[in-house]
Amino acid sequence: MTTCQECKNFFPLEEDPNRGDCVQRVKDPRQEYYQAKPVNADDDASSCSSFQKKQQ
Amino acid sequence: MAQTALKDTSVEEFEKKQEWWWAAEKKRSGRLDYLRKAIWKKGAIGGLYAPGVKTDLEQAVMTTNMAKSMEGSPDPYVIKSAKLFAHILDNKTIFITDHAQLVGYTGSLPNTMNWNPSIASILNAEVFNDPNAIPDPVDKNQEVIQEIVDYWAGRTDLDRMMPVFDMDDLMKMLSGSIGWGVPLARGGYSNKDYEYIMTGKRAFQDIIDELDKKLDEIDDAVHEPMANKEIAVMYDQLNNWEAMKIALEAGIRIARRYARLARIIAENFEEDPKRKEELLKIAAACEQVPAHPPRNLQESFQYDIFIQMMSRTEAIEGAWPCRPDYYHGPYYDKDVHIDKTLTKEEALDLVGEFLIRAAEVCQFKPKFAREGLQGIDGTWVWTMGGVDEKGKDACNDLTIAFMQAARLVRVANPTFAFRWHPQVKDEVMREVFECIRHGLGYPSIRNDPILISNAMHWHGHPIEEARLWVHQACMSPNPTTKHGYQPMRMANATANCAKIIEYVFTSGFDPVVNMQVGAETPDVSTFKDFEAFFDAWVLQMRTIFSILVRSVNRARLLAPTMTPRPFLSGLSERCIESGQDTCDPSIARGNAWITAFTWVENADSLAAVKKLVFDEGKYTLAELKDALAKNWNGYEDMRLDFVKNVPKWGNDDDYVDSIMLRCLDECAKFSKELKCPCGNNWPILPENVSGNIHYANIVGALPNGRRLGDALYDGGISPGPGLDKNGPTAVLKSCGKIDHVTQGRAFLLNQRLSPTQLADEKGFQLWKAYMRTWADLGLDHVQFNMVDDATLRSAQKDPEKYQEVIVRVAGYSAHFVDISRKTQDNIIQRTVQGLG
Ligand code: SF4
Repeated sequence: MTTCQECKNFFPLEEDPNRGDCVQRVKDPRQEYYQAKPVNADDDASSCSSFQKKQQ
Repeated sequence: MAQTALKDTSVEEFEKKQEWWWAAEKKRSGRLDYLRKAIWKKGAIGGLYAPGVKTDLEQAVMTTNMAKSMEGSPDPYVIKSAKLFAHILDNKTIFITDHAQLVGYTGSLPNTMNWNPSIASILNAEVFNDPNAIPDPVDKNQEVIQEIVDYWAGRTDLDRMMPVFDMDDLMKMLSGSIGWGVPLARGGYSNKDYEYIMTGKRAFQDIIDELDKKLDEIDDAVHEPMANKEIAVMYDQLNNWEAMKIALEAGIRIARRYARLARIIAENFEEDPKRKEELLKIAAACEQVPAHPPRNLQESFQYDIFIQMMSRTEAIEGAWPCRPDYYHGPYYDKDVHIDKTLTKEEALDLVGEFLIRAAEVCQFKPKFAREGLQGIDGTWVWTMGGVDEKGKDACNDLTIAFMQAARLVRVANPTFAFRWHPQVKDEVMREVFECIRHGLGYPSIRNDPILISNAMHWHGHPIEEARLWVHQACMSPNPTTKHGYQPMRMANATANCAKIIEYVFTSGFDPVVNMQVGAETPDVSTFKDFEAFFDAWVLQMRTIFSILVRSVNRARLLAPTMTPRPFLSGLSERCIESGQDTCDPSIARGNAWITAFTWVENADSLAAVKKLVFDEGKYTLAELKDALAKNWNGYEDMRLDFVKNVPKWGNDDDYVDSIMLRCLDECAKFSKELKCPCGNNWPILPENVSGNIHYANIVGALPNGRRLGDALYDGGISPGPGLDKNGPTAVLKSCGKIDHVTQGRAFLLNQRLSPTQLADEKGFQLWKAYMRTWADLGLDHVQFNMVDDATLRSAQKDPEKYQEVIVRVAGYSAHFVDISRKTQDNIIQRTVQGLG
């Protein structure tokens, strides 16, 4: 199963690498911003349309 | 406007044409311009949310899932409330907008409106029934919403409280005929103990340390070989303190999440070194506050934004009581003048952004609130100026910076209310005037000495506390002190006062909602003299006020156990000290007021009855009753007599003015009989927001000649639009007959002035002379529209071109194009007063 930790958007917490933030760049009709949402390293990413494979 | 036209026209040319909005766009910094245009317009336009603005389902789903997961938990309710709050802060999506220096938003994305489904099922139903605001895919999300609505049915604050209310009162209040609001502690607005948390002496971590000490002490105490009443109470204190701690710790954690995001952007994405530095500054600020007191202006603003955001996670907040120049002023002084770490221009950018961060805040509101607050999400009336606790002038350089920033970013919300007093310097008055002249409709001007006396008279606030007042909503002063701050919207007792006179003719039966709401006074046609008629008016007034006040009193009493607010309690010295909830009336002084919507119709109607029925005997009460029941149909000549041939309020005519004073005396007398659960009084406060339009189809025909469906007067003690025919001084003189200390809590006055007349230095001097008369006559409030008819009519014809024109509606400002046609017409109808 592909998981969040394999994704470029995943930024693990220093104190607990099993948890982290999914950070993405967003452009809406009025502004551009970065958003962050808490995710777990082993969350299922197989159906995530924003998944981007992390470069090793 | 086309970009080339904007580029080719100079600031001076725009200013000469009084097209202030284009001038502002050219004058402000690139950062402010980007951030100003980045705002999603959240105020409802004619009652509907703007395209693209969506209800935030993320927090609603999170709230629901967390509530489900805690169902079997043995935790006391207050602890569950705190855990729910913490869960949202720990898991919500956060974002940082490009160019921003301040962060924090109520929703998960910039275009979303926060929805808290745990407060009222009637609100949840409106979310479901508002497909325009449901995010895509609508069908699927409607199912999600349906599940949320179903889960909360019977579980929301209001649903749980209804069985323990007086159902008869509650039905009358919620019928929409006499009230405007729902008696709930988590649905309204809260003032805060800013003296405790905003003076740099402490922040969240200090309070948590204090709570830890209290928890240790109490843990020891309950295990001593002793048992008594004090110990029995300690378990509740323990739970409340524990809940406050959970909430404050979550507050620190979400700030650290923002800090982390800022660092991630700086270290992984941002290439511009200047922006990188800014992001690291954001990170440092969010690591400092709210855990620790701010060290500079940016952190001070950031601290404030976090507190507001968190408060809006815990409850629906329809207002924004604060005093930003007073509490942030010392940091401005330190950064700009002492440490010189900020230039004035850089500080102005921060101030402008602070206004923008507030302008974008939004929570989904029910339709009655959207109609009453057209064009805005809530009344963010920020208090400026005034005196300090010792009575010395508190205006500072940040007061001036706020006025200047407001003219650059030109947001309609927040607006300012300026506490005028005799020591205010001319340079500050000039800045205030410039905002009004630039057509912002704000600041409104408040008479500080009068309102300080008023706070002491009505609520017994000691003078040092009375001097520290802020607007709890549009109009009502409330101190930001330990025992003075008021944690809920007691003004859910908002009365649609035109019903008082209407019910005299219907013996209390409301034909619109088809129920007996008012008192069953005798058939109006049986009254033999004006005194009997007036007695019926008094009884209807007492009945309506009592229904509303009883319901709100009940809600306040139930709030500490049924709808606790652990976060708000955690910011309050009296709660930290006592271990009681913020709404607990036993630890508060009380500062309730009845907002009196649609008030002046009473004086004009009573005067009409007195003159044409009793003094001149031209008509009988039976005829008048019939005419009103038929909405004046078939009685047009008679109606015109009632409109034209009776003195109207606002013309310095003692015939009608004395009736106004008599009505206010009756209310003031009753206000001292009515008591809130803190044991304090319930004075009235005439003002309207845009209730005059909302109630147009709810209030029947009235003896002042108004028909069902016509807009009501624009509120407070403002004369009816176009009925003040004797000039501005006559208006002030009528209003000056009211004792603004003892006859009510505050009195709103709308005035329209001519922008052409007040264009230059002479204009400023004319305005100052007018303000001197206003102050000498002892009025407590005045606010101005200074946009001419031609501009407003052009904006009606070509709204696209006039998107940025702002007008004063009532206790708030709005973009002219965002308010309904009826409200627009009502503003145009107001008399433009020539000064001098
Ligand atoms: S984009 Fe999808 S896969 Fe990648 S971290 Fe975010 S949630 Fe996980």
